[in-house]
Amino acid sequence: MLRTLIRQEFLTHLMSARFFAAVIITLLLVVANAVVLLEDYERRLMKYSQQENAHRQKVQEAKTYSMLKLSVERPPNPLSLFSAGLDKRLGTTFEIYYGSVPIISDGSARSLDNTFLNLFSKIDLVLIFQVVLSLMALLFAYDAIAGDWESGTLRLVISHPVRRGSILFAKYIGAMVCLLIPVLMSLLMVLILLSSTSSIQLDGEDFLRIGGIVLTTSIYLSVFYLIGLLISATTRRTATSLMLCMFLWVALVLVYPNWSRFTITPVGDTRAIHSSADQQIEQIWEEVDREERVFLANSPLEGEPQKFNLDVPSSNSFSSGRHFSKRHGVNMSLLGKRSEPLVPHVQQYHATMGALYIRSAEQIALVRKQTLDSTALWESIRHERLMKLSPASLYTFTAAAWAGTDLEGMFDFVQAVQGYRRTIVDYFHDKDAFGSRKWFASDRGAVDWWDLPQFHFDRTDVWENATRALPGLLLLLLINLALFTVTFLFFIKIEV
Amino acid sequence: MIWHIIKRELFDHINSLRFILTVVILSALMVTNAVVHLRAHPKRVRNYSEKITKSANELKSRSELYALARKGPGDLYKRPSSLAFIADGGDAYLPKNISNGESWSISGQGGEVKSNWWLNYGTVNPDATDLTPYATKIDWVFIITYLLSFIPLLFTFDALSGEREQGTLRLCLANPISRPVLLIGKFLGTLITVLIPFVFAVLLNLAVISVDSWTQLSVADWGRLGLILLIAACYAGIFVGLGLMVSAGTREPRVSLVVLLLIWVAGVIFMPSTLGTLSTKWMPPVQTMDQFRDARKAALKQINDDYGARMSAVKEKKSPNLPSLSELQKLYETSPEAAMAAAEKLRGTWETEGDEELALKAELIKGDVEIRERLNRERLDAQIAQVQRARAVTRLSPAAIVQYALESMAGTGFNRHLQYLEHVHQHTKQFRQFIVETDRADIQSPHFIGVPKGMSQKPVASEAIPKFEDKIAFSDTFNTATLDLLLLVLLLGVFVSGAFLVFIRSEV
Repeated sequence: MLRTLIRQEFLTHLMSARFFAAVIITLLLVVANAVVLLEDYERRLMKYSQQENAHRQKVQEAKTYSMLKLSVERPPNPLSLFSAGLDKRLGTTFEIYYGSVPIISDGSARSLDNTFLNLFSKIDLVLIFQVVLSLMALLFAYDAIAGDWESGTLRLVISHPVRRGSILFAKYIGAMVCLLIPVLMSLLMVLILLSSTSSIQLDGEDFLRIGGIVLTTSIYLSVFYLIGLLISATTRRTATSLMLCMFLWVALVLVYPNWSRFTITPVGDTRAIHSSADQQIEQIWEEVDREERVFLANSPLEGEPQKFNLDVPSSNSFSSGRHFSKRHGVNMSLLGKRSEPLVPHVQQYHATMGALYIRSAEQIALVRKQTLDSTALWESIRHERLMKLSPASLYTFTAAAWAGTDLEGMFDFVQAVQGYRRTIVDYFHDKDAFGSRKWFASDRGAVDWWDLPQFHFDRTDVWENATRALPGLLLLLLINLALFTVTFLFFIKIEV
Repeated sequence: MIWHIIKRELFDHINSLRFILTVVILSALMVTNAVVHLRAHPKRVRNYSEKITKSANELKSRSELYALARKGPGDLYKRPSSLAFIADGGDAYLPKNISNGESWSISGQGGEVKSNWWLNYGTVNPDATDLTPYATKIDWVFIITYLLSFIPLLFTFDALSGEREQGTLRLCLANPISRPVLLIGKFLGTLITVLIPFVFAVLLNLAVISVDSWTQLSVADWGRLGLILLIAACYAGIFVGLGLMVSAGTREPRVSLVVLLLIWVAGVIFMPSTLGTLSTKWMPPVQTMDQFRDARKAALKQINDDYGARMSAVKEKKSPNLPSLSELQKLYETSPEAAMAAAEKLRGTWETEGDEELALKAELIKGDVEIRERLNRERLDAQIAQVQRARAVTRLSPAAIVQYALESMAGTGFNRHLQYLEHVHQHTKQFRQFIVETDRADIQSPHFIGVPKGMSQKPVASEAIPKFEDKIAFSDTFNTATLDLLLLVLLLGVFVSGAFLVFIRSEV
């Protein structure tokens, strides 16, 4: 009997105009946007390799160790096609420097040629599912019970020896299968499209991630279908049920996520936190300066630290400073004979300063991390939690967790960058770079960078993504369960 | 008769659930918008006035004409619009001020030369470091583009197909009413029903906003508000027309609802962002930052080399047979004292500044400023061209048209930024002219602009220095909005006549 009911529900939906329209519009939107997004991804990939080349060239230009200007670039995530998340927004270029530990807000978007283009809103495939299919789910559900009640078919069905629970279950299964058809069809189209281009290469893990996104999508759709079913069971009039469904949709999908982001601002004065962090960093620098003075007092070196009182006919140098990192680089391509006795002292100076800078970098990184945690990161997590009160946002965040474009995915990259910086510091130590003549002078040959460690970044494995997505997934399931139970209770009590 | 139909439609709608829900959701959003504005706007205005006072004081402290040329007019700030609650216009993505470019100095044969001020357009990219999840601002643009399109569809999807199903349409047309009159009656009735809650919410919004003394709306602002309401009505009318058209063409109301909602989703929600991403494909290219820097370096190297060659020719003519730097170095190895003496003499000739040297320096500085500003301007123009192209492409969606029209009306957004840049350019020209004229008025000055010794040494009266004040002029913004307004009216005409044609041909 249950099977008959399911088949009947399924066939009714399948032959309805709304199902036809849903399939057409989802396919159209998904395919059109996939083509556009694929091109966008290719452009980003091209930019990425351009930047990489530029970074590599910069390394070769450095003649001394101190002149090394090393940067790494974050590769675009191929799954940003599905969920853009933070992948397209956050800065992609990180500078690697022994004297400062990079944190997430240090990334700069140097590959962006026109920042005005940020004015235009971004799109991804998850957004299409989020908006279109939730609307379709409500349209499938609003008259599921109220419509049958109005037309009298409900009375007819109940007069048969079937339990009410089975009727409800049959309606649910029939509609969900119909809703999943456009999802799977459009996914198939996207996969065909992806396999026809060579720029995107997906491995087995990526397919599992996509599978995770599809799973989340189906649970999300089920939430909206059950919301519609609940409204349908409680109102008993299709017109009322329809209007409630539509306005609830507007509130949950369109309004609430944006509303919560701008109305509820985290209280607390972040300026105080920032200024106290600045003070702490200032103290660390004072400590460094003091030790530098102590060193210089005991050494025959005089004059500006960049050149001292050396006899340097030809040199080039750079220096740049922000409050959390001070950078100097010097390359003396010629060194007068008279200054030869001073060279060991200069070497000793740079060895001392190198160690000091590395130490202060770790200390400053600690302060900066605490500041970030208590300001920007805290704010972001709070906003995320508030937004997650709407199932639509919950779905977006869970999909981003699967794709690895969420905040944690970005932190993975920053961690890799920090690890790379440590590798570089170790490399410098191995080569005894800080205390060598090649730190500041290239008169006896430039540094050969052939064995400089290369940066490499692998996205986390799919199980890590799954654990990150799990809380959202469970929450969605829980909402499902609660909604189904409540609908069931209402349906049992309904008078026919 | 038509009045009768409108009245009946109105009463029908006002008693319905959807009307109540519309009132609730529109009022809630409008009040939110007002409250957020009250919180954010005073900060914005205070910030702006603090910044311009600081900038003006800095300018006053420069009493020397040369200091004015070297440091320029200071930071030039964009005035925040008092109607920012209507359209945010991507405020965070547009620079709020224009500040000095970095300065340089060279020393060498001709003595020291220091750069003069040049116009440097900054860029802002808050996204690069913003960890918070993306969301759209809830301004009037959001409310109008999304809700004033969605709600008309909910009011019209069963307007004709529902009545046809019930048979009331046949009854109605059995009376001596022509179809156009019936359609117009339904159109106006629905439009008025939609606009009543909207106007109510707008009044609520303005009431909350007028509580606060920071936002004072002038007469021109009220004029703009009127136009904004007109735009909103026009936009809602487009969707009422669309709803009637689809409703007249389908037999069942639920089919017409599905069709309408899908059209809405595609046209209003997805088209602006899809087209925005798509348009990058046909965009005119912009130099990358590296290319731009290389081009600038090459152009500057040329004038620098030219300057060096001419300067050494001048020096050579004045005091021939001085040793060059490398010769001096060799001399130093053999007899340091002789080398010191020669170096002293060399420095002496380097630092003397006759008219010839001053002219060369002034030329170098002028060339430097011209090249930098020209290249900056070219890059900016290329970027603007890209944005204009993307805006032209996104105009295929009525939601984008309304957004641009409202931004122009509210004095925010990209067009407003262009207007601000125009003001900055005018001011820069005026400022430079002021320097030249003041210098010309002093007969003792040798008239070499940009070099300390070449300019008038008389103190400049701080009142005479031209001050920058950014203005939001109504006429300018109106001109940019005309195209969007025309497009909207055109679309309205298309959809209403479309509904008319479909309805005339449909069977009852």
